[in-house]
Amino acid sequence: MSDSAGGKKARFVQTTVEVEGRTETRVVEVPAFEPAPWTADTPLSIVGTSPPRVDAFEKVTGRARYTADTVRPGILYAVIVRAPIAKGTLTAIDLDTARAMPGVRGVMGPGDAPAGTRLFRREVSYAGQSLAAVCAESLLDAERAARAIAASLVIAPEPHAVTVDDAIAADAPPVRRTGNTTEPDIVQRGDIARGLAEADVTLTREYRTPVALHSALEPHGAVCEWTGDHLTVWESTQGIFRVRSDVAKALGVPQSRVRVIKDYMGGGFGAKNSAGPHTYTAALFARALGAPVRCINDRRGEQTDSGNRPATVQKVTIAARRDGTLTAIALDALIPLGISGWEGGPAQIFHELYHCPNVRTAETMVYINAGGMQAFRGPGYVEGAFALEGAMNALARALEMDPVALRVKNLATHDERTGRPFSGNRLDECYAEGMKRFGWSSAIDHPPSALSRAKRGRGVAAQTWPTGGGPPSYANVRINSDGSVDVLAGTQDLGTGSRTILAQIAAEALGARLDSVRAVIGDTERLPYTGNSWGSMTTPSVGPAVRMAAEEAKSHLLEAAAQMLEVPVARLGTRDSQVMLDADVALSFSDLCRKLGNVQIVGHGSRGPNPELAVVTVGAQFAEVEVDAETGVVKVLRIVAVHDAGRIINPALAESQLHGGIIQGIGYALFEERHIDRASGATLNANLHDYKVPTMVDIPAIDASFLAGADPAANHVGARGIAEPPIIPTAPAIAAAVADALGVEVCSLPLTPWRVLGALTG
Amino acid sequence: MLLTVNGSPREVDPARFPTLLAALRDQLGLTGPKLGCDHGECGACTVRLDGDLVYACLTLTAACDDAQVQTVEGLANGGALSPLQQAFITHDAAQCGFCTPGQLLAAAALLEANPHPTDDEIRTAMSGNLCRCGTYPKIITAIRAVADGSGGAPASIATTPTGGAS
Ligand code: FES
Ligand code: FES
Repeated sequence: MSDSAGGKKARFVQTTVEVEGRTETRVVEVPAFEPAPWTADTPLSIVGTSPPRVDAFEKVTGRARYTADTVRPGILYAVIVRAPIAKGTLTAIDLDTARAMPGVRGVMGPGDAPAGTRLFRREVSYAGQSLAAVCAESLLDAERAARAIAASLVIAPEPHAVTVDDAIAADAPPVRRTGNTTEPDIVQRGDIARGLAEADVTLTREYRTPVALHSALEPHGAVCEWTGDHLTVWESTQGIFRVRSDVAKALGVPQSRVRVIKDYMGGGFGAKNSAGPHTYTAALFARALGAPVRCINDRRGEQTDSGNRPATVQKVTIAARRDGTLTAIALDALIPLGISGWEGGPAQIFHELYHCPNVRTAETMVYINAGGMQAFRGPGYVEGAFALEGAMNALARALEMDPVALRVKNLATHDERTGRPFSGNRLDECYAEGMKRFGWSSAIDHPPSALSRAKRGRGVAAQTWPTGGGPPSYANVRINSDGSVDVLAGTQDLGTGSRTILAQIAAEALGARLDSVRAVIGDTERLPYTGNSWGSMTTPSVGPAVRMAAEEAKSHLLEAAAQMLEVPVARLGTRDSQVMLDADVALSFSDLCRKLGNVQIVGHGSRGPNPELAVVTVGAQFAEVEVDAETGVVKVLRIVAVHDAGRIINPALAESQLHGGIIQGIGYALFEERHIDRASGATLNANLHDYKVPTMVDIPAIDASFLAGADPAANHVGARGIAEPPIIPTAPAIAAAVADALGVEVCSLPLTPWRVLGALTG
Repeated sequence: MLLTVNGSPREVDPARFPTLLAALRDQLGLTGPKLGCDHGECGACTVRLDGDLVYACLTLTAACDDAQVQTVEGLANGGALSPLQQAFITHDAAQCGFCTPGQLLAAAALLEANPHPTDDEIRTAMSGNLCRCGTYPKIITAIRAVADGSGGAPASIATTPTGGAS
């Protein structure tokens, strides 16, 4: 678009946005104005405080409505029938018996769904893949009929590969027609050979990480209802607009005819970013049967066909001079993605966490006959950090250097991958604060005790993660005629607290009381666009749009007040939902708005382009463990975490995010691992009993905090993302502590007793 | 068949709704108890049956004839939140909130049986209720607050940011 007369700024510009570690270039609209940044010194009274979640009352009273709680008159229940084995061709299926069973209203099988839904294909390529579905008047009827269909399946089996080793073997069966592996993705800077030649110490290790399952307590699910040619979808999703476009495309209907609603959801952790088989099944049955249809994954379906964190095999070479200066880091990684998945490999953190002139990473994605990966909290970085930080800790031992000192010596000075300066990066202070809180003196002062079978050890690891967020994100702020305030933004709250922090930002910018502000989110039809809640992006993306909308609403409100009071607008301000004239209360928002009658005060906000800076959240975690050298059982005694995420909008909620990430990190470190039966390809622990997630007895003392401050260079709210960073360093810190305790490294996760004992006995 | 649910007599149909969870959710519209696994693995469906904690997904409706059932909807007394509910709010003990109804009932049963539990007793008593969001530390704080009598009063759990100015 060309500049308009009068030298106005360009309306659209290019900007880069990092999503889950991937960099995207976008053309975005430049907001008409952007408020001056809230700096660390800006006095704020609501942002930076810890009011309870605005929806806590609903959550503790059972009133919060999750997708499965959606009640519609005449609702029907759909159940998906899934493949029991990993590969083959479906040669027979009996849908007629099920169709005739009590309560059954509809059945779908191969050929019955549009190709875009990828439902019900005869070619089986992983266990858990949808083959058919049934819809009935009760869940019980649907489940009975689904069992009848399952019993009728005849699948001509074909050889499969469900492990990375099987998939890359010389005689491996073909997993995908295009081959079982991708060309290695090689990224390098400097010259590894030169870096190795300059080194005094070089180490090579192979690290293995398991497949981890998101295991959100609420499974994926949707309720769909057609009114004429208009579809409403209630979906547990991190991206209402993404689900809308997925459904519209797959079903061949315009987006304007699809409304996606998400009220409450029971966690996502990356797995709920798009429409899925459950969505399409519900939408198709609802259209065919003219009734609302609910389709919720059962736990087995959830654990096999809704995504996972893929396993990795990472061969790492790390080299340094005697004084600890890194000279080379190299990674050769195999990543078995499952049957599909985007390439969220472990390499990126190798390029970003340390200042090292010579870095080379090679990632080869491998397809296996198992459910496809989905982003899982810190995708790639979690896996990569286990290997990179493991290698750093091994290097520290080899150099007889304190592992914190080694890290501080090699701090990244700018984004080492792109060359951009940081908007802010206080990792050095995170180490200093963490050492103080943990009581860290040099770990090598404490050699493992040979006297007792209970051995204690301590370890450290660090984290970086791109958390700048970015456009497009839009929000409106509307002041009602009684002075109450609606914040309207089409985002979603996964349990992270977005509803609360967006209300806090709006209240702060508007000078309104927090209890008068309601954040309305999760509805594609009624709310302005924002992107998916992924990549720790919601606060830095939607927060500035909300602030700008509130600032605009405030300026409209003050202009109206200036007219009414016949004073210059410059003398007016706002506080506690009141218009202030100089230092005195002139009138309340409610009085002002009542006098305005039906004149609407509405502010519109959008997220402006990103600065040409690297915006990252960083942090360091310290772990202390006790290992029973006879049983191999690892007990985490305490974790200290200090992160730098710019401004913290609500410290209590932010602390909860740290707890959540650390606790999932403990699960990843100690218990969590999907097991697949090599013979059938079926998942053996597709439930919450055999797939172990942490319970309350597994939780150590956790001291988790953020550095005080703000990052006004990142965006005008000064906040970066916080959801994903805390899971990244937990497992490597625990593994380092185990190595410290035992004097041997365990290079595979999870650190189960048998792995620990295996390492001890060589 | 008749049950007393949160103090009111309710008619349920065990043939159509064979599990107590299905009867509560799908017949009576009490959606506080959640379905997380349907196999007694997660605790999201936890309710109290004649005072005992049960997984409603594993409890047969037919076995509940004449029983007293309490769900999260019955925790507030005449609109006033129970001290535990208030403490869960104050101490941010619910993130996504999906496990919260079950956690609250488990905590209520614990405090009735043992009004002053140690942290280890809390951990053990609550270990049948998973929380994938990792609210455990704050659930412990909330239960502690009620047991210690400080109830829902704001306590020191909100992290004060540390470190220097930026
Ligand atoms: S739903 Fe009953 S224990 Fe999980
Ligand atoms: S708060 Fe989300 S599962 Fe507990």
